[in-house]
Amino acid sequence: MTIMQPQIDYEALVQEDRVHGSVYTDLLIFAEEMEKIFYRGWVYVGHAGEIPQPGDYRLKKIGQQSVIMVRDEDSQVQLLMNRCRHRANTVCQIERGNTKVFRCAYHGWTYRNSGDLLSVTYQDGYDKSFRKEDYGLTKVPRMAMYRGFIFASLSPAGITLDEYLGQPVKEQLDLFIDLSPEGELDVTAGVHKYGYQGNWKFQAENAMDGYHPNFVHQTFFTALQKRTGTKLDLFTSHSTGLTRDLGNGHVMLDSREYNKANSHLLRAALPTTPGGQDYREAMVQRYGQERAEEILTAGGTHMLVFPNLILIGVQIRVVQPMSVAETQVFLYPTLLKGVAPEMNAARLRGHEAFFGPAGKGAVDDLEMFERNQVGLSAQVDPWLVLSRGLHRERRDTDGTLVARMTDEVTQRGIWRQWKRMMSQGVVEAPMRWQMRASAGGR
Amino acid sequence: MPVDRHQIENFLYREARLMDEHAYDEWLSLWTEDALYWVPCNEDDIDPQRHVSIIYDNRARLEDRIERLKSGAAYAQDPKSRLRRVVSNVESEEGDNGEITVYANFNLTELRRGRQDTFAGRTIYKLRPQGAGFKIAYKKVLLVNNDEVIDNLTFLI
Repeated sequence: MTIMQPQIDYEALVQEDRVHGSVYTDLLIFAEEMEKIFYRGWVYVGHAGEIPQPGDYRLKKIGQQSVIMVRDEDSQVQLLMNRCRHRANTVCQIERGNTKVFRCAYHGWTYRNSGDLLSVTYQDGYDKSFRKEDYGLTKVPRMAMYRGFIFASLSPAGITLDEYLGQPVKEQLDLFIDLSPEGELDVTAGVHKYGYQGNWKFQAENAMDGYHPNFVHQTFFTALQKRTGTKLDLFTSHSTGLTRDLGNGHVMLDSREYNKANSHLLRAALPTTPGGQDYREAMVQRYGQERAEEILTAGGTHMLVFPNLILIGVQIRVVQPMSVAETQVFLYPTLLKGVAPEMNAARLRGHEAFFGPAGKGAVDDLEMFERNQVGLSAQVDPWLVLSRGLHRERRDTDGTLVARMTDEVTQRGIWRQWKRMMSQGVVEAPMRWQMRASAGGR
Repeated sequence: MPVDRHQIENFLYREARLMDEHAYDEWLSLWTEDALYWVPCNEDDIDPQRHVSIIYDNRARLEDRIERLKSGAAYAQDPKSRLRRVVSNVESEEGDNGEITVYANFNLTELRRGRQDTFAGRTIYKLRPQGAGFKIAYKKVLLVNNDEVIDNLTFLI
């Protein structure tokens, strides 16, 4: 039975130049987000490089559902629901490890790391119609990978990952990955974990906000200027950097033009970096002069793959909504395969300087998110203004929408996709109750 | 020369008090020029050259950290955390190079914006005798929760 709930008018809540505060605070909207965005749509789950060996596994979440990401004995990546097919106990308790089997401690059902049911205790208790092949761990309905980046959808039908990402996003992923002269990332360097008492979308929007850095991160830029003598003017109103909407909610801060103008700094720095000269040669060897220059100048990317994957600097960042006003964030700094150990160590030191719970940058963002959530409690005028740069947006030659670095093209791109997905259909009531019940905390 | 246990403990208590009271410059003055301040991430024993740390500060990065905290624009410490910690279970051993390795446990209560948190861990110091006291050449903090979500670790630990 489907109980129809009064439908939320997303058209009214999300307008071209503004959003209503309830999109960050409403319990029902949060429950619908889990269903319509995190379960029906494609979400990032993890990277194949986290589980390089057969039997390697990581516990992950899709929305609020516990999932095992595992490499089976045939080296195939599997996404298995962490729920015994008997009576729903978890079969995996630890966040990371290596195993040939997942055994449910409750009644002893045991599964291979491929998810197949290996054995049932006292099997005589089931009649002949019971077939083990019907009771393997449930696989995530759809899984797809782009160069090691693993995405999933809990909906058996819908557009393909390829269509969802689109060419511009894949090009940015390539720029991030191809900084390795072997074209492969090493994702075994651990994970920073932090959280905040605020809605998950603050993290998604802020990571692609070119307007805030000079204010929130003033302390970091001051220190940088003191150490290097260079004044970073990327995040100003007249910067050559751009905000870019790649479509489907995927957005980026594009600093390629800015970097090009400053590429003499990179050229000067690389030969003096330990392993830098070899690195440049290996890059040219692998990609050719022109492409190698393009990759090195871009220096990675700065992109949100809607809704939960962020690539900034060396890191893969995952946004994990816990409840309407609680979010966890996981940052995986990546290493490059095929470079000197000193270069990878420098990647880690650069990451730690700004990121993580004791870093000198991102924690100040978290403080902004918490203040934001408190600010939303004042509801007499419930609107947030997102009109910045609306008058100077333009279509670039590749069809993507761009404006200046401090403009809100990126936020508007996120909200367009959010509205599109949230406006699709009604969520059945039982699903809603289940999600509201589980929205209670960690 | 045998190490004076009281002298070591007094040094640790003083360091704890300076951290608790956000006495940034005084705390920085406890460190050597070649200092390493290390808080591993995910596990206690990692290779910091290929695994991320929560903090891996040499002297320059340590100075930047203190500059930032003093600037008034480090918003994660605006308002500041209220802190009190207990340092105990002190053990020490003398090395050949004159440095003293000190092990101690701590239990820290942090209160900020109405939320109270507890942090606990074990600290390994390498102290260099200098004048009547010591300088910290190395400090590694093994947080009990270094593999958990931590919202804010911008106070001194």
